Amino acid sequence: MKRYLIRRLLLAVPTLFLVSVLVFALMRFMPGDVATRMVEGHAYAPTLAALRHDLGLDRPVHVQYLDWIGGIVLRGDFGTSYWTRQPILNEFARRFPVTLELALLTILVSVVLGVLIGILSAARQDSAADYLGRVLAILALSVPYFGLAVLVVVLPSIYFKWTPVWTYVPFTVDPVENLKIMLVPAAVFGVTRAGPVMRIMRSALLDVLRQDYIRTAWSKGLAERPIILRHALKNAMIPVISLVGLQIPLYIGGSVIVESIFRLPGVGLFFFEALTRLDYPVVQSVNLIIAAMVVALNLIIDLSYAFLDPRIRY
Amino acid sequence: MARRAPFPSRLFLAAVVLSVLVLASLVMAAPALAQAGAQPKRGGVIRIAEREAPGLDPHLSISFLTHSYVSLAYSQLVRFPNGPEQKSPTDFSILPDLAEKWTVSKDGKTYTFNLRKGVKFHNKPPVNGREVTADDVKYSLERFMAKSGFRDRFEPVTGIEVVDRHTVKITLKEPYAPFLNHLANPSYCAILPREAEEKFKDFNNPDAVIGTGPFVLKSYEKGVRVVFERNPNYFMKGLPYLDGATIDITPDAAARLAVLRAGKAELPHIWGWISPEEARTLKQTNPEMSITPYKVIGQGFIYLRTDQPPFNDVRVRRAVSLAIDRKSWNDALLFGEGCVDAGPVPCALTDWKLDAAKMDPAKARYVVGYDPAEAKRLLAEAGYAKGFTMPIYHWPGYVVPWRNYYELAAEDLGKVGIQVELKPEEYGKYISTTALGKYDKAAMGPSTPFTEVDDFLFGRFYPELPTNQSHVADGELTKMLVAQRREMDPKKRKQIVDDIQRYLADKAYYVYVPQWPQYVAHPPYVKGFRHHDGYGLGMRLLYTWLDK
Repeated sequence: MKRYLIRRLLLAVPTLFLVSVLVFALMRFMPGDVATRMVEGHAYAPTLAALRHDLGLDRPVHVQYLDWIGGIVLRGDFGTSYWTRQPILNEFARRFPVTLELALLTILVSVVLGVLIGILSAARQDSAADYLGRVLAILALSVPYFGLAVLVVVLPSIYFKWTPVWTYVPFTVDPVENLKIMLVPAAVFGVTRAGPVMRIMRSALLDVLRQDYIRTAWSKGLAERPIILRHALKNAMIPVISLVGLQIPLYIGGSVIVESIFRLPGVGLFFFEALTRLDYPVVQSVNLIIAAMVVALNLIIDLSYAFLDPRIRY
Repeated sequence: MARRAPFPSRLFLAAVVLSVLVLASLVMAAPALAQAGAQPKRGGVIRIAEREAPGLDPHLSISFLTHSYVSLAYSQLVRFPNGPEQKSPTDFSILPDLAEKWTVSKDGKTYTFNLRKGVKFHNKPPVNGREVTADDVKYSLERFMAKSGFRDRFEPVTGIEVVDRHTVKITLKEPYAPFLNHLANPSYCAILPREAEEKFKDFNNPDAVIGTGPFVLKSYEKGVRVVFERNPNYFMKGLPYLDGATIDITPDAAARLAVLRAGKAELPHIWGWISPEEARTLKQTNPEMSITPYKVIGQGFIYLRTDQPPFNDVRVRRAVSLAIDRKSWNDALLFGEGCVDAGPVPCALTDWKLDAAKMDPAKARYVVGYDPAEAKRLLAEAGYAKGFTMPIYHWPGYVVPWRNYYELAAEDLGKVGIQVELKPEEYGKYISTTALGKYDKAAMGPSTPFTEVDDFLFGRFYPELPTNQSHVADGELTKMLVAQRREMDPKKRKQIVDDIQRYLADKAYYVYVPQWPQYVAHPPYVKGFRHHDGYGLGMRLLYTWLDK
């Protein structure tokens, strides 16, 4: 276990290095130029040159990369935004709790819904409940979350003069108000992510329910509920956990749109605005931090398999 | 018996009739008078749903959002009229702001500004409510000219001299008619206190936003909300009426309209703007809402590489202009409410606009006319009887109706034999190449809504400027462009501007497309919020009050 952990941590270093190079290069390949963007249609040549110099964009590309990555590795300095001139790490730290809460609530909604319907579908295979569950899963898979989010915001405002868009309040300030604000976007996002969870849950549980040890449990006269909940569910959860792990980047990516529509001041919105403004240091550093988190979460998920299935050893 | 003199009785009769008329007119006009004379109420906080500004430093950012946000907190030397002061939404006459009066030397090269005495910065550390002096003006102008992306606006300035505590003298290298307009534009030179920069490095930190404007920045939670409170020491006594203003950061356009509908915001935009289409649906869902259309300083055009074939031939450019059916566009997309006579000076810039109707019709038709048969004839005369193919580079992300505009342009030009290949570009590329004149043959898009006519003339037509997107290099025109910005007499300058518009009419350097109105929407209890096309949200809120 210890060796596995060390090996995985060492592997993370080249992974993150490649991510840093890739993100840095992709930003430079993006059409357009941030300095020109900053002065837009008003640009006259002397201003542009001066601005490029101010931003350090007149230096060779490799010097710009080394300056950025060197700051992170040697000093823990993730740089400052071109536009706001504010430290990126401070802004990320301030916004991260919002995105984390949204992601956790979304996972909660998607797992609770997906697992419950998945269990019901598997336990009552080919019944009306199973068909209904499968239809709901396909529907959830088919509806884009951004479309659903806009409908949830706009339709009540037209018909009821009400909209679930509030001004954000942190959980630490007012938990009740915070949950009121966060639950609707989490539900919208979570419902659309529950579809794949339900389908994986159903197929994994059906597979486990046909295994010998379950048949033995039936023959010993155990009731359906303990068989499913105590014996089958734990094993069937492994692919579900894998799926949730794989979906984490999707939760971060999706937060860009959801935060924008529900005016939540999270990392997704921070990243999106930086991308549209070609704010290179913000896009690079936020990407790198999120990549590091995804690497760490994948490791945690891999380690959790050993807990769910004692036969798995590292 | 003495006869009564007839004259007094006629006088008496006239007096009676007059009294009746006056009384009747008073009765009839009572509601209007009551409305006009409605006493503004003090108090209340206006809520505005808007996107986040990229920063708060008015000299480091060129974003209109930044300038709109901080316009609540800062003043300038001079300003544009607002509320009851303005004659129209594009009234850019110059009023005193921090400068109570000013003089211009006879040669137009020296401006002397006398500052109001006793005007104090907001009472926040490290400035702590000290008085504004001429040193602050010199510091702010020099900082703007050193750091702002708009610094070229003050390029003719050669010296700023502090004469005494309340007098500052600015010297220019040549007469420069747009100077006062640029000083009054809230996008340019806000007057800032030096101590705040010394403490906070720049003015992006919310604690550094210390000005002399009508509102004081109380708090800024990034991504959430900006809160302004009334400045109790504002130098215009009794103003503003509002206790405060909040800007609730709302990035999504659909959400901004939804919060207006749901009563969670008074303005869905810093100008209160919604599109004509949104206005129609809002009227249906919220009939109580105040929704008013205004002409705005917008402009859209097809720009052509006039330095290269085929558009170096005026006949081809005229053919392109005659191929565009502006009236049909206006009817189909803008509910007939747009302005088809959209260039070179925008329709809304009424003080400078020379309407096509007042020009020689034979020339004006190349600005507003539609004649596909003549377009074909001109193309044949220029050697393109079988037409040709041209690209139109553009950014497809501009708001409605731009996406339809690109398609309609392609369709109309196709009818006269010019096959258009629409070339959509990513915004970063478009704004840093195509919009600055780096494209092949033709492109299409909107113009920044400037407040100075010089930007639409000198900026668009002076050789070698990046904003001269059509690469115009016309000696005769260039002389007039320079002359209008050096002419300090407004009447004489207007004559030159008129001459430029007449001269440009049949040149078709740019092909202008109809400009749509913007609808200003807010609940009926928002009073005194008069639309103004300048970038000063603070000034638009100065006379605003809430009747509830």
